This record gives sequence, structure tokens and C-alpha cells, in this order.
Amino acid sequence: MITSALRIFDLSLGQMLWSRRSVFLALLAGGPVGLALGIRVILLLTPAQLPMVNGARMSGTAIFGLIIWLLYLRFIIPVLGAFYGTSLIADEVEDKTITYLFTRPIPRGAVLVGKYLAYLLCTILLVLPSAVIVYFIVTPLGGGSIGEQFPSLLSDLGMLAVGLAAYGALFALVGATFKRPLVVGLVFTFGWEPGVLIFPGYLKHATIAFYLQALVPHAMPNEESVVGGILQLFNEIPPLETSLASLAGITLVALWLASRATQTREFVLDQ
Amino acid sequence: MTTRTRYFVITSLLVMFVGVGTGLVAYYVGIPGGVLSQQAGIEDLKILPSDAQLVAYANVRDVMDSELRRKVRNALPIAGQGQQEIEDRTGINIENDIDEVLACLAPSRGAQMPASVLVVAQGRFDTSRIEGLMRQAGAHVEEYNGARLIVASDTSRPSTDQSPALSSADTFSVAFVAPGKVALGSRSLIRAAIDQKTSGPGVTGNVELMRLVRSFDGGDAWAVGRFDALASQARLPAGLSSRLPAITWFAANAEVDTGVRGMLRADARDQQSADDLREVVRGFIALARLQIASQPELKVLVESLSLGGTGTTVSLAYDVPGPLVDMLGSAAGIMQNRPKSTPDAK
Repeated sequence: MITSALRIFDLSLGQMLWSRRSVFLALLAGGPVGLALGIRVILLLTPAQLPMVNGARMSGTAIFGLIIWLLYLRFIIPVLGAFYGTSLIADEVEDKTITYLFTRPIPRGAVLVGKYLAYLLCTILLVLPSAVIVYFIVTPLGGGSIGEQFPSLLSDLGMLAVGLAAYGALFALVGATFKRPLVVGLVFTFGWEPGVLIFPGYLKHATIAFYLQALVPHAMPNEESVVGGILQLFNEIPPLETSLASLAGITLVALWLASRATQTREFVLDQ
Repeated sequence: MTTRTRYFVITSLLVMFVGVGTGLVAYYVGIPGGVLSQQAGIEDLKILPSDAQLVAYANVRDVMDSELRRKVRNALPIAGQGQQEIEDRTGINIENDIDEVLACLAPSRGAQMPASVLVVAQGRFDTSRIEGLMRQAGAHVEEYNGARLIVASDTSRPSTDQSPALSSADTFSVAFVAPGKVALGSRSLIRAAIDQKTSGPGVTGNVELMRLVRSFDGGDAWAVGRFDALASQARLPAGLSSRLPAITWFAANAEVDTGVRGMLRADARDQQSADDLREVVRGFIALARLQIASQPELKVLVESLSLGGTGTTVSLAYDVPGPLVDMLGSAAGIMQNRPKSTPDAK
């Protein structure tokens, strides 16, 4: 099983990296870098200064925290998971190439696991360097210290990797189970998760964002702005141990179920 | 794995390893302040003593050029005698020569005074004129660690019972610590500042103080310090000092343009003290809101007061907008122009 999965991983990594979808991936990963560069250039070339919040000037560290919260955690990670995770099997079905994989002498489940590992490496190799670059561009603004904030960067990188793993596994399950997986993925990302997090009660435990936000080392933005107000609605954070255990559980269970669904499901190709 | 995939993986890993490696080095060893940093004054902070209890900064150029100052000058024409006196004695024109000022209050190295002030000003200075004028007043010049130290004559301040004669360590001195940068203060503090230039992080090694300083980067004026230092210097009544909630750090800043806005901040010793302080401030704001019923012109100011902060931090943001400054200026002008009543006039 492991050898087979690694072979599929090797094959899929190149396909995934150099596909048309990679342009979208590059735009997503490059967006925060472009934004950070824009902020830096504006501050260098004009007399503009960082905005004031409650009378105190925002620091580069606070801006980096804001980028992590708003861009990476709430948008890039779930969207990448939805687009790539749902396509792991669905693309092969759509292109009618799944037959070639399934007729090889390898377990069907290994195909999904190999493709999932390729997704994970591909997204980690793009998103994590993007976050590192943003950190070095933004954190020194306003006198922020790269050294002092370094432990929080490591936590951010860990959180991003765990988030990509969890969302990817969940959407791989969606891709292996549903006929229109991308629609289901987008509804989950932009409908279910933000909606459920707002309401009090236990429904938020059925999201990944709820557990993921416990791993973010930056304080949730709490300024009296529209964005801060919206984010405060999600301001219930579970303990770190619970979050890590839940995310590991979601990833492993979803991956096992996805692998089982790939193994047992009858894929009917449109003629 | 194809060659271009391999290149991509290597490049991506390289970016991560270089980034994480640099961060790791910065975390354990530190990176010089100038690298990647935007905070211009951070290097100056290094020459302030590490035991400074209070640090203050003002962007004199911004304040002097601001619309607010123009309005204040129009409303309250000041003769500027103090400025002229400084110019006559040292050759320094505060309005035109100084761009930025950084000051600190540190425990005195001399025996007589409990604390000394060190001021570091950046701008354009006529060094020979300053030295000449101070020499005329009896100062002498010393060489210390490659810098010229102009030590004022302590005969200018005679000894009395209330104010004993200064020790040589407390004598007022001036030194040009870098091109366009002058340090003024007690002789011992200036000597320490000259030493600090080449060794030690100075006040930047004080993590608590620097955390507050960094939050005010870019402001026109700010002050950060230990509250006990402020209370002792302000000589607050004993009853008042003992009733104040336990505050460890205080900070204030101001951003000047057509008006002035900023924040006052206090870090309390514990949650209870912070809650108590918040209640006190809330009470004062409520009282002010009651008062504006009879003075609606102050409504904007009172409504701009915003109490904030979490945990042990209490903050109060304020905003005095331009129109309110105009109005206060007009009122002050009317008060100044009003003829003084004399007993005969009654």
C-alpha cells in the first residue's frame, strides 16, 4: 500500500504542479506577498503611515496577524483544500482516466492516498514560503522585531500545514463520495463554516475553522471596524490540545473514509 | 519526478529554510535594527541608559510645521523669550534647528539628585558657536571616548540649603554624539551615552518598555515609563498616590495635524487593579458627559474618548479635532483680549 501510494504521489506531484489549476494556486499564494509588498512600497515612497487603532499605531506584527487571520486562515487554506481536495478523484473521473489507474495492480485506496500526499506537498511548498516572505516583508514595519516574533511564525507555519492537511482530507472524502464535489466544498467553505461559527451552540464543532483558530498565535483582530466586528463573532476558541487532537482525528478519519470510498465506490464514467 | 518539479521543490524548500534560519538567528542573536526595520529612532534609543525609567520622543519638525501649531500661535501669540534665551546661550534655534528630540529620565549617577534627564536632539547644529557660547559662560571641554564633552561651569548654580551644589557627575554638559546629533544632560549620563554607542543595547534591552515604544512608532510625540518614576517626579500628594490603583507602566502618545489625537495607556499590576482603574476612568467619562449638556461645544471631544484595553491594560483614546481647536483658540483669544478689571473700574 505505502509503495503504491508513493508511486502515485510521484506521478501526481508533477501533474498537479504544472496543471492549469496551478495558476490559480500561484495567484492565491502570491496574493498576500503582493499585498505585503504593496504596503511596504506605499510606506517607503509616500509619507503615509500605518493606520491608527484606538490611538496606537498598528505594528507590522499586527498587520501580519491580520493577514494570517483574514487571508490565510479564512480564505486561502479552505479554498485550496476545496479546489484541490475535491479534484483528487473527481478530475480523473471527469477526464475518464481513472480506469488507467484502477486497472494497475495497486490498491484503489493507495491512489487516493498518493494523490492526497501530492496535494499536501504541492500546497505546503507554495503556501508556507509565501507566509515566510510575507512575514519578512511586513513584520519589521513599525519597528516590529523579526527575532521576537519568530516563535509565532513557526506556530503559523505549523497551523497552515495542519489546516491544509485537514481541509485536504475532508475534501478528498467529499471528492470521492459526491458527484458534484466542488459545489459541496464551496458550500462548506463559504456557507457552512462561516454561518455555523456565528451561532452559539455546538454546531461549530462540526467545522475545521473552529479548531484551527486555536492554533493561531496572533490575537484575533478586535478593533471596532466591520472586519474586527465580524471576526469577533467567531471569538470562541477551544483548548490547544482539543484542537490538535480534533484536527488529527478529522484528517485521519476523513482520509480513511475517502480511501474506503475510493475502494468500494463504483465509478460510472459518462459516455 | 521531472527536473522542473525537482527545481520547484528545491527552490521552495530553500526559501523556507533561509527564512526560518534567518528568523532563528534573529531570535537567538538579534538582527541589527537598521536591517529591514523602518523605525528610524531605534538606533538613538540604544544610547539611552538601560535603567531609564521614562522615555519620551517628539518629532519637533512635524509639530512645528503642523496646522495645529499655527492655530495655537495665532490664538495665543507667545513672545518666545525662553526660545530666544536658549538660542542666545547655546546657538540652538528650537524651531528651525531641531528635527527630533528623544529624552529619558534615569537614576542619577551623582549623589545629590535622585534622577537626571538626558536629551538627545537631532537636527542642524553650529557646533563651534555652541561651544564658543558655552565657553564664554565658563564651560570647559573634555575629551571622552573620542567625543568632545562641553561641561558647564557649576558656579552658575550656587549652593544653598535647599539645593546643594552639584557634584561633578551631575554637572550639565553637552556632547555631539554623532553628526547632527547632540546630547544634553548630566555629565555622567552623557558619558554613559557615549559608552553605550559602541556597546550594549541600552534601553532597547528593556523588553517591557520597548514593547510600548514600538506600539507608538510613527507618532509625533510619545512618552513611556514606569508609573512609580512619574509619581515620584510629579510629587503627587501622598493621599492621592496611595489611592491610585497599582499601575506599573504608563504610556501616552499624540498625533498632530489640524487637531491632536492619541492614546493614554496604563498597565496595571493585576486584573483587579485594571478593573478598578477602568471603573475610575469610566466614572470620569460619565461625569464629563453630564457636563457637556451645558457645554455642547465640548461634545465632540468627550465623545471621542474611548475606553479600551484588555487584561491588565487600560487605554483611553482621545481626539481633539481641528474645529474644536479653532473654537478653543477663539475662546482663549477673547480671554486674552478682555481688559483686566481693576479695583477702580468696579
